[in-house]
Amino acid sequence: MTIDKEISPADSRVGVAPSDAADADGPASAVPGPASPIEFRLDSGSGVPTYLQLVQQVEHALRLGYLKPGDQLPKVRDVVASLAINPNTVLKAYRELETKGLAAGRPGQGTFIQATLNHVALPELTELRRSLLGWLATADATGLDEDGMVALFTSALRGFRERRGAASGDSESVA
Amino acid sequence: MNVIEAIGLGKRYGSTWALRGCALAIPAGHVAALVGPNGAGKTTLLNLAVGLTAPTEGMVTVFDGWPAGSPAALDGIAFVAQDAPLYRNLSVADMLHLTRNLNRRFDQGYAEARLGQLGIPMGRRAGNLSGGQQAQLALTLALARRPRLLVLDEPMAMLDPLARHDFMAAVMAAVADGGVSVVLSSHVLAELERVADYLVLITSGSVQVAGEVDDLLACHRVLTGPAAEAGSYAQRLDVVNARRGGAQVHLLVRTNGRSGSAPPGWEEHPVSLEELALAYLREPGAAALPGPSRARAVEPAEVTNWQR
Amino acid sequence: MAALTTARPGQDAGLRPLPWRRMTWVTWRQHRLALAGVIALLSVAAAYLLITGLQMHQAYGAVSACRPAGSGICQQAASNFLGTYAPGVGVTLGVLQVIPALIGAFVGAPLLAREFETGTFRFTWTQGFGRVRWAVAKLAPLAVAVAVAGGAFTLLVSWYLQPVFGAGDDDGPLYPTRFDFLGVALAAWILAAFAIGVLAGVLVRRVIPAMFATLAAWAGLAFVTGIFLRQHYEAPLVTSSPNIPASAWVISQGWFRGGNAASLEMIDHTLRPVDVQAVTPDLFQPGPATPANFGDPVRYLIQHGYTQLTIYQPASRFWPFQWIEGGWLLALSLLLIAATVWLVRRRATQ
Repeated sequence: MTIDKEISPADSRVGVAPSDAADADGPASAVPGPASPIEFRLDSGSGVPTYLQLVQQVEHALRLGYLKPGDQLPKVRDVVASLAINPNTVLKAYRELETKGLAAGRPGQGTFIQATLNHVALPELTELRRSLLGWLATADATGLDEDGMVALFTSALRGFRERRGAASGDSESVA
Repeated sequence: MNVIEAIGLGKRYGSTWALRGCALAIPAGHVAALVGPNGAGKTTLLNLAVGLTAPTEGMVTVFDGWPAGSPAALDGIAFVAQDAPLYRNLSVADMLHLTRNLNRRFDQGYAEARLGQLGIPMGRRAGNLSGGQQAQLALTLALARRPRLLVLDEPMAMLDPLARHDFMAAVMAAVADGGVSVVLSSHVLAELERVADYLVLITSGSVQVAGEVDDLLACHRVLTGPAAEAGSYAQRLDVVNARRGGAQVHLLVRTNGRSGSAPPGWEEHPVSLEELALAYLREPGAAALPGPSRARAVEPAEVTNWQR
Repeated sequence: MAALTTARPGQDAGLRPLPWRRMTWVTWRQHRLALAGVIALLSVAAAYLLITGLQMHQAYGAVSACRPAGSGICQQAASNFLGTYAPGVGVTLGVLQVIPALIGAFVGAPLLAREFETGTFRFTWTQGFGRVRWAVAKLAPLAVAVAVAGGAFTLLVSWYLQPVFGAGDDDGPLYPTRFDFLGVALAAWILAAFAIGVLAGVLVRRVIPAMFATLAAWAGLAFVTGIFLRQHYEAPLVTSSPNIPASAWVISQGWFRGGNAASLEMIDHTLRPVDVQAVTPDLFQPGPATPANFGDPVRYLIQHGYTQLTIYQPASRFWPFQWIEGGWLLALSLLLIAATVWLVRRRATQ
């Protein structure tokens, strides 16, 4: 998956970054800033780690057009106040999005979308679809039912994700 | 810096040891969950850490060396005990006034704004508030002190689900604002999974598991495979807990971060915090503790298999 | 949601303790009801004393204006006055005896006991002020307040008793139920009751049981002091004279023979030859075989080696006794309060 993005200096943050927290000076501002276009939700029964759910929701929002480059992601403090999750989780998700090049943090202001998910070109999509249909036919021939196909695919996808995560030098083992 | 450090900590009531040989080093900047069955010693440990009671043996210090209960410790730690004790005959405004008088720092504006947002009237007597409101008031008073460490003892035991959510949201917002570490205890792990990034599991008066949640989850896996093969692999694998059916067995193992360690034909699954905690609770002899060095610098947790 | 201001607290290693005056509002706000109760109690008693006292003073005016002083008529008037009013005074003071106990139980006992019973100590003793200084900041002002209230009430009782003393009542200022209310005794007893109360509170840790413990302890101490201890502050005087100084505190009176107290049986035995029966040490019943010109059994006993002795404390010792009693009660109170603070420092939670 290729990504369009403007050249901008990588803004790597480690640990708890106060720059993304609410106003650095003085008490809460009387006038709330413009709200982010999206709002996060949590599916505690899904088994997917929280930070990953947030990443996926941002990517999903980008795909569906709720988010465009330049939009601000919800402030860490607001996410935490509405979902009651650890702020480090939100920071982890935003770091992941930065690593993917989808977002960038501006000190004192927040995290902003800076790229879109590039659509895979149509010929490649068609080719992928054809090979997938072939696989489905083979699976059906061996006697696997639909649920079995989904389970197999999900498990393989998880393994694929983990191997890719491990290969990219797992940055999550140490806070 | 460690917000709470305990060395050989023990507390005896009469002839019963509520806590014994407890060693702990909770780092700052975390939300640490203290989990264990009822009577395991969580409240005793917290009481020792905030200076309400004195150890029978060993010692506990806060903020890198200050004795628990010393003026520096009292100044930096805000404690909300179980059932959020308040003076029931005082009004909410009086409770604010009282807390302000008894502490060096008190953010009156924050407290009033927060109570206003929660819809808690300043003139009502604390005893006439609902359980959820009392807990929120106690939390507000604690946070308004701008502590370095917030200690909560089973804060949500008496709260309904909405009140629980609001309570934890407030605590997390305070953490997001910066500067506060949190230690909270509960015997219900599920509600702590989303908020905790450091876990301490206490069973029968001693620490069984202690470490960062990310490290613990990265170091453990569930391997699912044929029950017949379980025995042959149990030696090689560092098994914490096994659950078996007739043909299938789930082994919860320590992998020290290596993935892909599943034997051929076996499946490997990541582990949830609840599953991990339950596994250790079922195996009192197993432990996952950080190495002997004091965790000042951040380092991966060394996991030792300490069979008692 | 409101945000915390992000200024970081200084990491001051040598923290100066918070000023004492911070606790002034706290103590007042938390105990104003108890103090109001004390004022109310004393006010009700004071009102009663005022009303009956004015009556007494008015009646006594006639007695004290009687001339010539010391004559039989005036003495009779004084005697009538005492006969009318002295019993009421006795009952009133008897009822008011409970004042120190009530103050100790209702102000002292709940002070710390309630903190334990409601669990608020888990809140208060983890605040920045520190539990020992908090305890001292509460106990000291309240102790002073109740003692001062007692002192003020004593003035009223002194005024109230003036007519009775002036008319020459046998029960003088040293008499148990009166001694307690005069001089410094009342303030000292109230202070002691308060100290007993707070100690009971920190030991028992439940309000109602602590109140009962306070009442019991105070009653025991007051009883022992009044009946056994006070008479020995200075060695009592002994006299065989039938004329006892006015308003002296008679501790005991009776027949002695050869240096030892004489029992009723002994007296009866001595009087047997003249057939006089000793009903009580003061009452003698002549029998049929008594000689006609026998005369006074008292003289007869004196002739046979008996002496009638009175053991008493003179009224002049009133102030020395007040200082002695006030002194040891003060010392006891300070000791109990110190013990209370020490226990607060040590007391572990359950």
